[in-house]
Amino acid sequence: MAELSDIANQTIKDEIEEFLERPEEIERFVELFSRAKPALQDIAAAIIEGEDDEADELTAKALADGIDAIEIMDDGLIGGMGIVGIKFRENFVFVPEVLSCARAMRAGMAHIEPILSASGIEKQGTVIMGTVKGDLHDIGKNLCIMMLRGSGFDVVDLGVDVAEDSFIDAVEESGAKVLGMSALLTTTLPNMGRTIEAMIDADVRDDVLIMVGGAPVTQEFSDDMGADGYGPDALSCVAVAKELMTSAA
Amino acid sequence: MDKPLEMTSRERVLAALAGQPVDRTPVCCPTSVATVELMDLVDAPFPNANREAAPMARLAATAHTILGFDSVMPVFSIIQESSALGCKMQWEGKDNWPTVRMSEPIWDKPEDIYIPNDLLEHPDLVCVLDAIKLLRQDLGQDVAIIGKTMGPWSMAYHCFGVEKFLLLSLDDPDATKEILEKLKKVTIDFGNAQVEAGVDALTLPDHATGDLVSGEYYERYLRDLHTEFAEKIHCPLILHICGRTVDRMGFIAETGMAAFHYDSKNGPDESMATVHGDIALVGNINNPETLFSKAPEDVKREVFANLDAGVQMIGPECAVPLQTSIANLRAIPAAVKEWHSMH
Repeated sequence: MAELSDIANQTIKDEIEEFLERPEEIERFVELFSRAKPALQDIAAAIIEGEDDEADELTAKALADGIDAIEIMDDGLIGGMGIVGIKFRENFVFVPEVLSCARAMRAGMAHIEPILSASGIEKQGTVIMGTVKGDLHDIGKNLCIMMLRGSGFDVVDLGVDVAEDSFIDAVEESGAKVLGMSALLTTTLPNMGRTIEAMIDADVRDDVLIMVGGAPVTQEFSDDMGADGYGPDALSCVAVAKELMTSAA
Repeated sequence: MDKPLEMTSRERVLAALAGQPVDRTPVCCPTSVATVELMDLVDAPFPNANREAAPMARLAATAHTILGFDSVMPVFSIIQESSALGCKMQWEGKDNWPTVRMSEPIWDKPEDIYIPNDLLEHPDLVCVLDAIKLLRQDLGQDVAIIGKTMGPWSMAYHCFGVEKFLLLSLDDPDATKEILEKLKKVTIDFGNAQVEAGVDALTLPDHATGDLVSGEYYERYLRDLHTEFAEKIHCPLILHICGRTVDRMGFIAETGMAAFHYDSKNGPDESMATVHGDIALVGNINNPETLFSKAPEDVKREVFANLDAGVQMIGPECAVPLQTSIANLRAIPAAVKEWHSMH
């Protein structure tokens, strides 16, 4: 079994020791980073520290050194962001810090995405994402999209202030099996339920599984409005999307 | 202290804000209880009610005349100042809130900030001042009128974009403080203009919410500014911050503001224990799950929980969804009266 001491990068070791509390998560990340190449541990550390220039340079160098793009993405970029997600969930960091880490991840992904696109690797599926009508907040939705794309999903991003008809059109046009709705305001939250009702009226509700999220959204509210999945943060968004994609298959 | 004899709504609210005894706990919404049903009842729909004094005052008055609240609030949204500063607006229709297009920010750096000398003459601020005067004329001295002046943190979201401003707060704390320092003039000037127009108190929303930033951020960037507002704006202030805020309530209680409008993500008991009586609490009745989706009996349970905890003013946690039923909103003052009849 891998040990913390098997990890070369000191920042990663410190982060796991200081911020991870759940045994299964400690085990998962110790296992991940103890087998990850030191260069990829360094990329993960740059993501965790929000160092975008460093993430940019290290990712370019890893590719130049012949490390596989998917390995860089999984072990370095997503691995680092995974720890950030846990720190966010546990309130060790807040949105400014997460945005800074996401900026670093984007700097790395800018090198990876063209390679993945050209390689024709099969995607996990397509997810439609949008912030509901009347709500112009997009930070949470954009973090989810970044994590979904990084995890191999194609994403149709409808943006913010998305009308019911636009969600319906996207379901009909994209053939996506999963749709995600976001809202930050308690005042716009009811528009999630209205969108679901409009999808029932338009006879497209059964074509897609719906996940919801956003600061004021709870599991109870998600259940009440008839959504199929709920995630409290961007990390869980990926897990929910994978689960829904499996049940839709 | 003895319980006073029957008070008017205004006396009740002002006493609660001053930490003095009340005949019963006042019912207040420091943000908005405007709903589509109420708009129809008094023919004051959005967006007119956000931009014209007469419908604004008509819709605001319904909080007292139809719902039975002790206070009225003519500013239903959080965008009047941002519109006056030049932000790109989406005024929407009757069933949606007006919003600022934050993806198209008007400023990029602190030096870009420009506050016109005649800002208070902008129509979207004038209509608020006129609505306050109309409300005082129509409701007399019996009902508390609460106005609203936006804090600089919230205005910065609108003018610089949320993501950009939050990243700046991490990358360049000095520039962030410079932005807040420059924007505070709007908060103070519009606040005092509303005091002159006749408000009894002001809500000051400044969305340093626990959903976005840490309690340490509140202390670093906002505690001193909010203390300054309490000194320079000439009426009791009610700070509004959504989301989980227990980690900053201790700092908020130090500002000298009269009350804190708090979200249902914070329990009434833990919140009261955190502020140690240094600031009054108001709010907490859940919007999306309770007021919007459930029945008056469920509203009553939450009202009772707040009263049992000693919360000083009862009301919704934030601006209520526009499709909230009148029955559920009326359940708040009804529950407050019922609780007092038993205590």
